[in-house]
Amino acid sequence: MSYPRGLRVILPFLLFPIMLLGQQRYTLSGTISDAGSNETMIGVSILVPDLQTGAITNEYGFYSLTLPEGNYELIISALGFRDIRQTVNFNSNQRLDFGLESEAEQLEEVVVTEDVERLDIRQPQMSVTSLKAETIKNIPVVLGEADVIKSIILLPGVTNAGEASSGFNVRGGAADQNLILLDEATIFNSSHLFGFFSVFNPDAIKDVKLFKGGIPSRYGGRVSSVLEIFQKEGNSKSFQMNGGIGLVASRLLAEGPLVKDRAAFLIGGRGSYAHLFLPLFDIDNRAYFYDLNTKLNYRVNDRNNLYLSGYFGRDLFSLSDLFVNTYGNALVNFRWNHLFSDRLFSNLSLIYSDFYYGLELDFVGFEWNSGIQNFNLKYDLKHYLSDTFQVNFGMHNTYYVFNPGKISPNSPESGIVEEQLTRKFANENAIYVDLEHTISPKLSLEYGLRISQFNRLGQDAFYVYENGNPVDFNPFSLVYQEATPIDTLSTSRSTTLKKFLNPEPRISLSWTLNNQSSVKASFTRMAQYLHLLSNTSSPTPLDVWTPSGPYVKPQLADQFAMGYFRDLDSGTYSLESEVFYKEVQNRIDYIDGANLIANNAIEQVILNGQARAYGWELLFRKNTGRLTGWLAYTLAKSEQQTQGRQTLLSNGRTVQEPGINYGAWYSTPYDKRHDLALYGRFQVNDRLSLNANFIYQTGQPTNYPVGQFQFEGLVVPYYGLRNQQRLPNYHRMDLSATLQKKSKPGKRVNGEWVFSIYNLYNRYNAASINFRQNQDTGQNEAVRTSIFGIVPAATYNFKF
Amino acid sequence: MKPLLYLALPLILLTVACETVIEVDTPSEPARLVVDGIIRVDTTADFLPIAIKVTETTNFFEEVQPVSDIENMVIILQVLENGVPTTSFSRALAELEQGSGIYEPDPTFDSDQRISVRTVLDNDILFTLVITHRGRRYAAQTKYVPAVQIENLTLGDKTLFNPDETEVVVRYRDMPEVDNYYIFDFGSGNYLATEDTFYKGQAFEFSYFFDEPLQAGSELEVRVFGADQSLFNYMNLLVQQAGDQNGPFGTPVATVRGNLFEVTDLDNQGTFDSTNTPLVFPLGYFAIVQEFSKTLLIPNAD
Repeated sequence: MSYPRGLRVILPFLLFPIMLLGQQRYTLSGTISDAGSNETMIGVSILVPDLQTGAITNEYGFYSLTLPEGNYELIISALGFRDIRQTVNFNSNQRLDFGLESEAEQLEEVVVTEDVERLDIRQPQMSVTSLKAETIKNIPVVLGEADVIKSIILLPGVTNAGEASSGFNVRGGAADQNLILLDEATIFNSSHLFGFFSVFNPDAIKDVKLFKGGIPSRYGGRVSSVLEIFQKEGNSKSFQMNGGIGLVASRLLAEGPLVKDRAAFLIGGRGSYAHLFLPLFDIDNRAYFYDLNTKLNYRVNDRNNLYLSGYFGRDLFSLSDLFVNTYGNALVNFRWNHLFSDRLFSNLSLIYSDFYYGLELDFVGFEWNSGIQNFNLKYDLKHYLSDTFQVNFGMHNTYYVFNPGKISPNSPESGIVEEQLTRKFANENAIYVDLEHTISPKLSLEYGLRISQFNRLGQDAFYVYENGNPVDFNPFSLVYQEATPIDTLSTSRSTTLKKFLNPEPRISLSWTLNNQSSVKASFTRMAQYLHLLSNTSSPTPLDVWTPSGPYVKPQLADQFAMGYFRDLDSGTYSLESEVFYKEVQNRIDYIDGANLIANNAIEQVILNGQARAYGWELLFRKNTGRLTGWLAYTLAKSEQQTQGRQTLLSNGRTVQEPGINYGAWYSTPYDKRHDLALYGRFQVNDRLSLNANFIYQTGQPTNYPVGQFQFEGLVVPYYGLRNQQRLPNYHRMDLSATLQKKSKPGKRVNGEWVFSIYNLYNRYNAASINFRQNQDTGQNEAVRTSIFGIVPAATYNFKF
Repeated sequence: MKPLLYLALPLILLTVACETVIEVDTPSEPARLVVDGIIRVDTTADFLPIAIKVTETTNFFEEVQPVSDIENMVIILQVLENGVPTTSFSRALAELEQGSGIYEPDPTFDSDQRISVRTVLDNDILFTLVITHRGRRYAAQTKYVPAVQIENLTLGDKTLFNPDETEVVVRYRDMPEVDNYYIFDFGSGNYLATEDTFYKGQAFEFSYFFDEPLQAGSELEVRVFGADQSLFNYMNLLVQQAGDQNGPFGTPVATVRGNLFEVTDLDNQGTFDSTNTPLVFPLGYFAIVQEFSKTLLIPNAD
C-alpha cells in the first residue's frame, strides 16, 4: 500500500513519539476498578491538588500520571463512589491499582467533595456527555423498558423523529451521521421494532458517552456524533446474576469469575414477548426481538489484557406469514490491551460486524436478503509523555461488503426470478494523531489530525453514463429522471473505481477562568464515506447503506463550537452552555418519487446537496445529593439545500435546474427550534426513589397540501415546497418510582419494583398529520396519528 | 414492487396508534388546470374511448370544479416511420355535456373526429394533446402502450393487517424482453403500480387486500392497463400522495407533475424550456394505453 505524501511525513512522527525532556520525573500508573466487581471504571479522575493537575482513566480503566519527584496527595474520585485519598511518594516509577467502594449504601452521610474542582473543567474536550448505566435505568420510559437512545434524547442537542421512530439526531444532523460504537464495533441500526426500543441491553452496559462536537481524531467515518457504548466486562470477584421482568421484555444476565480476579465472563440475554403490539387482532401476527451480549476478559498479567465481546440481535415481524421481516446486527470483537511501558498504552482490536435485513412477501412470492458486513482492524496507542502532554495515535482499516439485496422466489410457484443486485466493496483507512497538551495552568489544547482514505473497489456491473451524469433533467417538465446507462463495466475487486483522501483536522482548547469555570472552543472536520439511502423522516431497517464512489461524494462536515463551563457549589451543580455551527457538504437528496429499494442504479436518483445547523445548548445539572438530575435546553435550526446544476440544453442555452425546493434552504425533517428536557431523581430513602421527566419540543416540520385534485378516481392532495408547516408542539411528562425490597438477612435475592407512568397527562402528541379522503363519507379530512397516550408499566428487577 | 414494501412499515404504528380527525387550515395557491387524460383502449372496440376530463385544483377541503371554458382542445397524431414523422393529422374535442368538464371527439365536425383502434395498432404514432385555456396553451405527448390480460382472478382467504380484509389473487403473464409496467385498477381509487424488474417474462401472481369484505353477490371488476416508466412513476406517486404521506416513515412530498406542460411561451428558438417559469405548470397526465379487465363474482357467505 502506498501512502500519499502527506501521510509519509506524519508516519515517522506517529511511530516514534518524541520524548520530552525535563527534571527528574516518575510515573504512577495502574487501573481503577469497582472494588465490588473488579469492573474497570472509565473517566475516574486522579487529582493532584498540590500541582493542580491530574489524570483520567481511559476506556479500559487505565491511568498514567507522570510528576516531578516528590510527595503528593492523590484524590481518586468518581460520582457515586467514596473518594480515595492517598499520599504517594514519586521517587520511582510504580504501579498502583485502586478499587473504589460504592457509596450507594450510605446516603445519609453524603460526602461533598470539598474544594476539588472536577478535572473536566480544565479538559479541552467539550460537547460530550456521559451517562452511567444506572442513570439510564432510572429514567422513566414507555413500557418500562430502560433504553439508551431514549435517555440520550433528554440531553441538549439530541432529538429524534418522535415516538416509535428509530435513530436519533445530534445537533441537527441526520440519523445516519452518528457513529454508534458498541465496544468499538460499529452498529448500523440502533433500533428494535422500528424504533420502539434500542438494541442495547441496559444490564450489559457500563457507560455511554456521546460526542456531539470537538470529536477527537481517533474517531471518524460519521460526521455528526459519536455514541460510544461500553459493555461491562464481567465480575471477576464473584458470580452474580441479575435480570428483570417487564411488560415488553425480560432480561437475564450472568457474570462471574473464570479465574478469580483474573478472568471473567458476562452473558446476557433479552427477549421480548411475541405478539407484541398486535394482540388487538385475532390473526396470526408476530413481532418480537431478542439480543444477546457476551464478554470474556482475561487479565494475562499487569501488561496484557484480552477481551472478547459479542453481540447478536434480531427482530422478527410477521403478518400472517405473508409478510415476514427479519433484521439485526451481529458483531464479534477481539481486543488486546498491551502496556509497552507504564506510559505507553495500546489496544489492538479485530472486529467483524454486520447488519442483516431480510424480507419475505408471500403475497407476491418474493424474498429479499440484504446486508452490510465489515471487517475492521484498529490499533490505538496512548502515550502519556508527561502530566501536561499526551499523544494518542493509531490506525484504522475497514473493509466493507455491501449487499444491496438478493431477490429470490419464496416458493417454486412464484414468478419472481432470482437476481443478485450488484454487490459493492470498499476499503476505508485512517491514521491519526491527537495531542492532549496542557500549555499553562490556564490553557489546555487537544489537537490532532486524522487522514482518512476511502477506496471504492471494483464491482460486477458498473454503469457508465453520458457525461458521467446519472441523473437527467427534463427542461420542459422540470423533473429529474433516471438517465440511461451508455455502458456497463465489470471490474475486478482488486481495482479501484474511485479514491478519496481527506485530511480531517481537529482542535479543541480550554481556557480556565478559575477553579470552577472555563471557556472552551473547538473545530472539527469529519468525513463520511457511507450514506444511508433513506428518504423517510426516520430511518427504517429497510434502508440500505451505500458507499461513496464515482457518482456519490463523501459527506464532509465542519463544526465550530464554543462553550462556557462552570461548577457551582463545589461540583454539586454544573452548568454547560455551548453554541455550535455545522456545515455538511455533499448531503445526498433524492429525486421526487425515487425508488430506493432494490435499486441497482441508485446513482440515478441521487442529487447532491448540503446541510447546515446551528444552535445554543444549555445543560444545568445537579450531580450530588438526594435530588439529582438536569435541565437541558436547545435552541437550534437545521436546514438543507439541494441546488440545481447548470445544464446546457441542446439549443446552447445554459439553464439553472430547480433542484429541490427551487434551490432554497429548507428545514430538515428533524429541525426543532426549542427542545427542553427536565429530568429529576429524588432518593426518598434507601429503598425508594422517584424519577420524573418533562419534555417540550417544537413540533417537527411536516407538509400540508396546498391543494387537491382528482385523477382517475383518486383524490390526491398535492404539495408545494417541502417542510413548510409544523406538527403541534410536543410535550409530555413521565414518572417512575423504584422500590427496593427490604433485604432480609439470609436471603440472597435482592429485588426491586419499577413502576412507571409514561405520558402522565395523556396528551395526544401528533406523530403525523395525514390528509386523505374518508372512504365512507367521501369527505376530505386531516387525520392526526398519536402513538402513545398514558402508558402505565411495571418491571421487576432482581439480582442474586 | 416498491409500494408493496413500503406499505408494511407504517402499519406497525397503526396497530398501537390512535387516529383522530382534526381541524387544520391548509394553505391555498391559485388554481391549476388538471387534465385527467388516461385513455384506456379496449382493442376489440372500433374507436378509442376518448374522454378527457378537465378540472381545476382547489383547497384541500373544497369541492373540485370541472372546467368548461376550454377554448380549444385537439389531439395531433404524427405517424412515425423509423422515428421520423411522415404524415400528421388532428382531431378536435369538445365538451358534449355542458358543465361536465369532459371533452370528447367533436360530433359537429363534418369529418369523423374519432380515432380508430386500427390506426393506433397498425402505426407508430406520437400523440400530442394541445389545450388552449384562458389564453394559455398546454401540451402533452404520449405513445400507445400495450398491456397483458389477467389470466386468473380468484378470491383468497388470507388477511394481512386486519381480519376484515378480502384477498384477491391476480395472475398474469409478463410480456417478455422489454421492461414493462402495469397499473392494476381495483376500483374506488384502489390502484397498484408494478414493474416487471424481478419477474421478466414470467407468469406472476400476487395478492391484493381490500380493507373490507366485498359485498356478497356483487361483481368485482379488476382492470389492468399498460404504462411506460413515466406513467408508472406518476401513478406510484399519486397512490403514495393519496395515502398516508407523513410520519416517521413518510417520504418527502413531491409536486406530482405529469406529462402536461405549459407551452404558451415556447417558441422552439430562444425559449425552449420552462426553467424561467418553474412555478407555472398544469397537473395531470395524457396517455393512451391498452386495458384488459376481468370480473369475479363475490359468492354469498355460507
